[in-house]
Amino acid sequence: MVLAVENLQMHLHLKRGVLRAVDGISLAVGEGETLGLVGESGSGKTLTGLSLLRLLPKGSGRIVAGSIKLDGQELTTMSESAMARDIRGRRIAMIMQDPMTSLNPVFSIGDQVRNPLRNHDIARGAALRSAVVDVLTRVRIPSPSQRLGDYPHQFSGGQRQRIVAAMAIGCTPRLLVADEPTTALDVTIQVQIISLLRQIQSDTGAGIILITHDLGVAASLCRRIAVMYAGQIIETGPVRRIYRMPSHPYTQALLAAIPRLGDKRTRLQAIAGQPPSLIDPPSGCRFAARCPARMDKCAEAPPMVTLADGHSAACWKLA
Amino acid sequence: MWRFLTRRAWQGAISILGASIIIFLISRLSGDPILILLPNDASQSLIEETRRTYGLDRPLWVQYGIWAQKALAGDFGRSYRWEMPALRLILERLPATIELAVFGLLFSVAIAVPVGVLSAVHRGGWIDRVGRVFAMLGQAMPTFWVGLLLILVFAIHLNWLPAFGHGTPAHVVLPAIALGWYPVAAQTRIVRSAMLDVLDSDHVRLSRALGTPERLIVWKYALRNAAVPLLTMLGVYFAAMLGGAFVVETIFAWPGVGRTVVEAVFSRDFPVVQAGVLFTSILFVLSNLLVDLSYGLVDPRIRDAR
Amino acid sequence: MRADGWLPEWARGLPWLPILVLLAVGVCALAGETIMPFDPNELDLGAAFVPPPWQEGGKTAYLLGADNLGRDILSRIMAGSRVSVIVAFYAILFSGSIGALIGMVAGYFGGPVDAVLMRLIEIQQSVPSIALALILAAALEPGLWTVVVVIVLTYWAWYARIIRGEIMALKGRDYIAFARVAGVSTPVIFLRHLLPNIFNTLVVLATLQVGQVILFEASLSFLGLGIQQPDISWGLMLSDARQYITNAWWAITMPGLAIMLTCLSANVFGDWLRDRLDPQLRQL
Repeated sequence: MVLAVENLQMHLHLKRGVLRAVDGISLAVGEGETLGLVGESGSGKTLTGLSLLRLLPKGSGRIVAGSIKLDGQELTTMSESAMARDIRGRRIAMIMQDPMTSLNPVFSIGDQVRNPLRNHDIARGAALRSAVVDVLTRVRIPSPSQRLGDYPHQFSGGQRQRIVAAMAIGCTPRLLVADEPTTALDVTIQVQIISLLRQIQSDTGAGIILITHDLGVAASLCRRIAVMYAGQIIETGPVRRIYRMPSHPYTQALLAAIPRLGDKRTRLQAIAGQPPSLIDPPSGCRFAARCPARMDKCAEAPPMVTLADGHSAACWKLA
Repeated sequence: MWRFLTRRAWQGAISILGASIIIFLISRLSGDPILILLPNDASQSLIEETRRTYGLDRPLWVQYGIWAQKALAGDFGRSYRWEMPALRLILERLPATIELAVFGLLFSVAIAVPVGVLSAVHRGGWIDRVGRVFAMLGQAMPTFWVGLLLILVFAIHLNWLPAFGHGTPAHVVLPAIALGWYPVAAQTRIVRSAMLDVLDSDHVRLSRALGTPERLIVWKYALRNAAVPLLTMLGVYFAAMLGGAFVVETIFAWPGVGRTVVEAVFSRDFPVVQAGVLFTSILFVLSNLLVDLSYGLVDPRIRDAR
Repeated sequence: MRADGWLPEWARGLPWLPILVLLAVGVCALAGETIMPFDPNELDLGAAFVPPPWQEGGKTAYLLGADNLGRDILSRIMAGSRVSVIVAFYAILFSGSIGALIGMVAGYFGGPVDAVLMRLIEIQQSVPSIALALILAAALEPGLWTVVVVIVLTYWAWYARIIRGEIMALKGRDYIAFARVAGVSTPVIFLRHLLPNIFNTLVVLATLQVGQVILFEASLSFLGLGIQQPDISWGLMLSDARQYITNAWWAITMPGLAIMLTCLSANVFGDWLRDRLDPQLRQL
């Protein structure tokens, strides 16, 4: 197991109260495996990704419980400087959503790709330059050695995302956290980025956590997905199984909401209601208020029921 | 971008032209120049004759034309007081003023950048609050008073630095501080505000996510972005330094254009006043033009925009 | 700080200290003679260079010390406030009116009129204000009205630019169009429709200008281009004190403090007023 997360709880201490953004997440990512973290906005998936790197809002974000183990090493107790030196950008790397703003506009791409390599002491001097050219070649930036002095605005959106990927994989991390890497790009570029991520995985054997709200993207890249709702994981399993047989009512509603070609319905099927506030969340099932299959028992927190090999969901109906 | 700059250059030229007209007209306000040149009991015919010789019987706009023509050729007349061509006098003193303005600007930036950065990084902290108080005070103190206080404390009481003159590096310290004092507040605000924006940006977050040491993030990666608005405004602040130099040079007996013009005013030495004010205006306009030019130099995105 | 709950809404959060200082200056300007401890012009060579009471050799009668001619500095500071107030009043009145009018004309009529006026504004701003002051002082006689003229010639452009912007924004509003269609004459439009809408801005601008005017007048008087002897101005006091700076630090410090406190109070009050009346001006 590259990554093993056990009952992770991360709370945001805001003026209006304590927001339980990540409330008891457990997941695992193996070598060369891609796990999709799927959910709507506000479900806590981005914050989960940030928690892995301990990149929480200064002062307000705190990991209050749980463990994060990278190759067996516990991350929640590491010092900040050790995190920056050994983990971030070195063994866990992150790719963010918007390639147009992820790169520093006043520094050349050569400088920016070089930066993690230099900070983590991967190479020096001439070897550093060739390492930069090498990683840019790997992400398929054309003629990289000539373009080291170019600035981000001289590249297209897809190319910029690939440059960000180069910065992320330069130190061959064990885990790559990709936060909505395709959302800001058009469909044809999306395909390129997805195949790039696949290639990175096969080259380096890194695990990937793909955070997305796009079920289609998750299906094309991930072997397994975990569905998040209101700060918790409510269903997890092999992606094909979940798509064929969604077991949690929320997952079922999500999949039903995707319009399909040939669908005769004229209205989009949305899920009625809103996610609950995470400042004082309900003690039982958090989806109960919107669930068509709601029962009295749902006032009590449902257990994670194992349905088949690797497929489980948290719902009383399955218990 | 070049089209824009040429347009601005034209505007600048018109501004200087307009300034020269204003300078010319105001000088003529002081009354009949003839009466200054000739003794009080000069006969009427002598007055008429001198008037004709100097072209002062022609309409005002013709007189301006003559003056402008001479000015373009470098002839601003002769200084009554210093007894040398006015232009040469001004050009001799100009480097000292530019030197003072540069050091004044350096001083203000040297304070504004660290205070601004630290205020942003430790927002609400003691540097932020103290900085803001000092900024408020600084903007309420007249430049000449700052100069006098500096002399009082550092030259007279402590005897660390000289109060007058020009020559050694020590001589420029107090005048530069006095000159650069006022804009520190505004510059600090710019830096602080820009830093707050940058520190919140996606690329800084990515840098942090990739393990870049915080020190490097603040002082290299964030600062260069935050410096853009400050650098582009430097032209404006340099121009402000030129204005403040008049007073500072007078207090510190600094041999620049400012002090020369002030002395010339009291001697009613119009050639020097005209030349001095015109050249200061030219520098002023050029500095403001520099602002537009520096946008392209400092920000690579604008450099390449057509 | 929240003990002001009993005050009406508009008075809460008022910057009390600055207002008090400004009122004190105003009172001194209007009725200074009645409260001054000494006659500001009275010479008393026996009291020359008396330091303030907390220093050795000081006398409590001379609260801020005496200058080289034995004149009480506190009284002179109080007397000097009159000049500051008068200059500020007239300078702001004239530069504000002229600047606002030009701004309104430029913004409302647009086109070639606007182009010409904008060029004029640029030309004005290409001459540093001190240089303009110097040249005017060389041409006219130095004095209080020279200072007022210089300030007016320097600041009208500032008003004009901002007011022009506001008018351009207002011009597109419906009620202006209705008024024109209804045949309302332009002067009436200016007075009835445009002016009330820029009033807040004008008030804020005027208040923000007070501090600058005080500094400017002090600088000009210091250089000898403004107020002349035997009139009293804080800048002039500092110019005199410069000659005996080694003997009397208080003569250099006290009038300067007066300038600083007044200017600071005006700035703080101006900022507060701006935040309440027209926060968009914050970028100034």
